[in-house]
Amino acid sequence: MLAYLLNLATLICINAVLAITLNFIMGYAGIFSIAHAIFFGVGAYTAAYFALHASASVFLAIPVAMLIAALISLVLALPALRVRGEYFVAASLGLQVLGVTVFSEWKSITGGLGGVIGIPPADVFGYDVVDPVAFLALAATCLVIVLIATTALLRSSFGRNLKAIRDSESAAHAFGKNVAVIKTLSVMLSSALAAVAGALYAFYMGFINVESFTLETSVLLMAMVIIGGTGTVAGPIVGTLLLMLLPGLFSYMSFLPQTEIGSIQQIAYGLAMVLLMIYRPGGIVGSGTRAAGKGKTA
Amino acid sequence: MSALHASIAAHDAPPPDHDVLLSIRHLRKSFGGLKVTDDVSLDLRAGIVTTLVGPNGAGKTTLFNQITGHLQPDAGEILWQGRSLLGKKHFQIARLGLARSFQDLRLFDQMTVLENVLTVMEPVSWLWQPGGRNGRSERLDRVHTILERTGLADKADTRAVDLAYAERKFLSMARILAADARIWLLDEPASGLDRSSYERFLELLRSEVQKGLTVCIIEHNLDIVIGISDRIAFLDQGRLLADGLPAQVLNDPHLAAIYFGDQAP
Repeated sequence: MLAYLLNLATLICINAVLAITLNFIMGYAGIFSIAHAIFFGVGAYTAAYFALHASASVFLAIPVAMLIAALISLVLALPALRVRGEYFVAASLGLQVLGVTVFSEWKSITGGLGGVIGIPPADVFGYDVVDPVAFLALAATCLVIVLIATTALLRSSFGRNLKAIRDSESAAHAFGKNVAVIKTLSVMLSSALAAVAGALYAFYMGFINVESFTLETSVLLMAMVIIGGTGTVAGPIVGTLLLMLLPGLFSYMSFLPQTEIGSIQQIAYGLAMVLLMIYRPGGIVGSGTRAAGKGKTA
Repeated sequence: MSALHASIAAHDAPPPDHDVLLSIRHLRKSFGGLKVTDDVSLDLRAGIVTTLVGPNGAGKTTLFNQITGHLQPDAGEILWQGRSLLGKKHFQIARLGLARSFQDLRLFDQMTVLENVLTVMEPVSWLWQPGGRNGRSERLDRVHTILERTGLADKADTRAVDLAYAERKFLSMARILAADARIWLLDEPASGLDRSSYERFLELLRSEVQKGLTVCIIEHNLDIVIGISDRIAFLDQGRLLADGLPAQVLNDPHLAAIYFGDQAP
């Protein structure tokens, strides 16, 4: 039971990092990306490759993963500068599909469909983090750092720049904001921080394959952000908790047929999304009426 | 008639110290077969209020959009203190000292009043602004001064979307004040304001003009036009039909016929 809870808590930390970083661009820059799992994946594969071939030190592997993800995110930033709203969603969907193909075909780096096995445990100051409690502490530390970093950024002038662009891109231009630079930076930051989750995941599982970085993951992350409350600090964390704890909750309901739990979960998610969008479009944490992150004027 | 206007109207031409800040030369722009700007030449002189008058669809806002870089003209030239603005990105043009307001305001709706004004003072797109802590407190002081002047001091923490109509108009003015620009392009800033709000708006504008601000304003209300204009430029169907002192332009029966239709007084 304890092992189960520790595992759940660690995965919640990792997913919360992803939801927070997705909310950073979705809720504040108005960039609705459904390719977030790709940067999770890039972080995971990079950290795994680095750990296997160079060093498993988190102080090296995580920064390298962040750097690579930030560079690759320029591929996502490019369409974000040209198109908005639903057009960008379509463009990011393309990137998601492309990314999964690369993950499953570039065998020398990603191990193809089989994935990467035998990833060494994370190394913190020469100490191997194998104990689940210790790893949870590491994941929680990363979560806190990411949360503080994103919150500080959003409260700064950079955060105001982002929100200004989200609310009216043309007015932001008219007041001297270099929208292209601001958007590119936000996508790079978000992707780099998502790679932290990827690196943690690779170290934690010891094995990764493309299954974890598919469209399904991207959609689930987006659901976490929207259900929790787009454009709020606590929203993505609440959304993560809810969507991660629900499956566990269902499996404890003994009256449900165990073989059907999966489909019951899907029905519950779907229903929750529909009801939420009708009655609380701003999410659980967001205020009732507002549609944050909605681009209005082009 | 305003004192400001009267003092300028006493001369036939603008005094020589009013240098040309922005010069539009033979500007042309078409949308498909529609000529929205048709060979327009216009000078905006320092410290002068130029009003763009003309029926709806005359191409007034389109002219603004070309000056600010939101639209690229097909032909012609726009000079800022003698240097061409063509090909510059709109944020670069804004940073030269041009600020504009929008007819539909385009406030940063989900941000607070304070944030709306503050973000305009933070031009650096990088992760932090220069000047450190001192710079930040100076900016905040300026924000509060501007909010006092625009009557929004007690609304500092209200989201822009929750403001009343006149307050939104004044927030638009507060934002443009914060830009610290040399020239303002105002797109119907006073439309829909009641008498007292309108007087406050006029007072604000006059005090800035007295400090040397250059203004180009699109306005339909003739009382306002007469109250603030030093010069009037009359546009119709993309063409500049007249550019002169208010008395000359407004008393032209031909222009009045275009503006009011044939039943003009």
